Amino acid sequence: MKHLKPVNEKAQAIERAAGQGRAEEVRPMQSVVGCASTFDPGWEVDPFGGVAALCQPMEADLYGCSDPCWWPAQVPDTINTYPDWSAGAPSAQRDWRKLNAVFPKK
Amino acid sequence: MVGAAAAGETANNDAAAAALINTKCGGCHEPGPDGGLARISAVRKSPEGWNLTLRRMQQWHHVVLSDAEQAALVKHFADTQGLAPEETAPFRAVLERRPGNVEHADDPEVATYCARCHSYARVGLQRRNAAEWLKLVHTHVGQFPTLEYQASSRDREWWHIATTELPDRLGRKWPLVTASWTAWQGHASPDLAGSWRVVGHRPGKGDYNGTLVVDRTDVDRYTVHHRLVMADGSALDGDGDSIVYTGYEWRGAATLGGLPVREVFEVSADGSQLRGRWFASDAVTGGDLTAVRGGPAILAVQPPYLKTGQTARLTIVGSGLSGEVDLGPGVQVQTIEQTSAESVTVLAVAGATAATGGHDVAVGAARLAGGLVVYDKVGSVRVEPGYDVARVGDNGGPIALVPAQFEAVAYLNGPEGKQGEVRIGVLPASWSIAGYDADSKQAEDAKFGGQIDQNGLFTPGGAGPNPARGGANNAANLSVTAVVTDGAVPLQGSAHLIVTLQRWNDAPVR
Repeated sequence: MKHLKPVNEKAQAIERAAGQGRAEEVRPMQSVVGCASTFDPGWEVDPFGGVAALCQPMEADLYGCSDPCWWPAQVPDTINTYPDWSAGAPSAQRDWRKLNAVFPKK
Repeated sequence: MVGAAAAGETANNDAAAAALINTKCGGCHEPGPDGGLARISAVRKSPEGWNLTLRRMQQWHHVVLSDAEQAALVKHFADTQGLAPEETAPFRAVLERRPGNVEHADDPEVATYCARCHSYARVGLQRRNAAEWLKLVHTHVGQFPTLEYQASSRDREWWHIATTELPDRLGRKWPLVTASWTAWQGHASPDLAGSWRVVGHRPGKGDYNGTLVVDRTDVDRYTVHHRLVMADGSALDGDGDSIVYTGYEWRGAATLGGLPVREVFEVSADGSQLRGRWFASDAVTGGDLTAVRGGPAILAVQPPYLKTGQTARLTIVGSGLSGEVDLGPGVQVQTIEQTSAESVTVLAVAGATAATGGHDVAVGAARLAGGLVVYDKVGSVRVEPGYDVARVGDNGGPIALVPAQFEAVAYLNGPEGKQGEVRIGVLPASWSIAGYDADSKQAEDAKFGGQIDQNGLFTPGGAGPNPARGGANNAANLSVTAVVTDGAVPLQGSAHLIVTLQRWNDAPVR
């Protein structure tokens, strides 16, 4: 990694992992990782039938699924149907324990 | 007298439902020239489908319904605008929340448009004409606008196809008026009161049998007393209530062995048989159930297999049993340990002359074709289900984990050694998990994804970012392996298990 300098926590974590041999320094991506309105990593299973190309952790991008209602059949859409689903949980990574199912088990 | 009373109760319920529809729905859904209400009269659905519709009306349009009002409306709509048994037949596994169910869409175009978010069954459990299917497309675009930009939308003329070809296709495939529904509307809902003989299987736990004592409390409403016994002798008792929709859709809520469960059974047209599944809130813990009234009939032999040369205790479960026990050529009944109208327990041995494969079993006039499988050696082992999904959960969060339950099922080789010809049954196995492919091995999926016990029960890891995994989730792509020992050579089978994320939108039909 002599040509790249990590500037945030995630990049530093990757550098540490590469140094310990737990991750490769250069990794060819099998799909674009991360969810935006033009890419489709898959929600529960990735396009390759596994989970390696899912957003990790999915909490990092969860509100990308709920706010632009990308996966409304799996994640409550906050546009129309469940506007208050993520109320009081501004960071999904920190506050995921506050997020409940919209079909409570009976 | 009973018939007249039931007819009177039905009329009263219909009048109450009509008044409720007028009050709660009539403000927006205007009557058309044919007397039907706009949109409402143009669809037919399962009870679960109507429940979802009423839920959406409350969410999107702020209709106020009490639980009792909602229940009355679901009952009315499912009865008068429901689905015929043959219309639901391809989709029972989804209604039953059967784990490991992999759908096979018979129309790839419909699957592309609908089943990349929903189950195919969600669509197949509805009936509309093309004009009404088009309104459903409009509803989706209005409510979920990014739909048009997703994969399998943006690569085609989505709007054009979705508003022209697709509704026509759906209207032809699943139209409002069908011969089966027209015929089914003349079917009278049977009175299910009485004592039912039950057999079933709980994956990971074994077979059970017993009785359901069903008492009628109102039209299509029952209280149910379950008196069930597992193969190991432990009791699985409890009480519950049930409603029957559309003359055949039994939906129950019970407590079995202290566990709250729901029941999704199909009542046969003649009212003589119940068949389906019951399950706990995770939809995984549960069992199959078959129940019959009357007889004589044999429902099952438990266990359903016998190894050549071995003596084993077999219980023939049935109703109205009486007479001589016959387990087929070459299988001798050594001792009759217990006999009653409901079961006969015997010690039996399969002699060297007993043919391997299915044997017809009889007790007097009652007969079950292929009820007992005689085998000399296990030909192959399959892990069932062959593909399954578990979900991370708990870890301080409000959503419970969803486990996966596997079983090792032995099969007899057919002629010329062809595998998988005859199902012997579930056998004990030694269980393990491993990464499914190179990626999952490198990511240590087997370490983080969860654990499997020696009953084939997989318990996934906790929800949330895992600091020990660099902040990633405990998602995993795993291979599940069972090793069965039958003779000197261990036999192995495997399944594919995805451990994925919580499900926040867990509708009764996904």
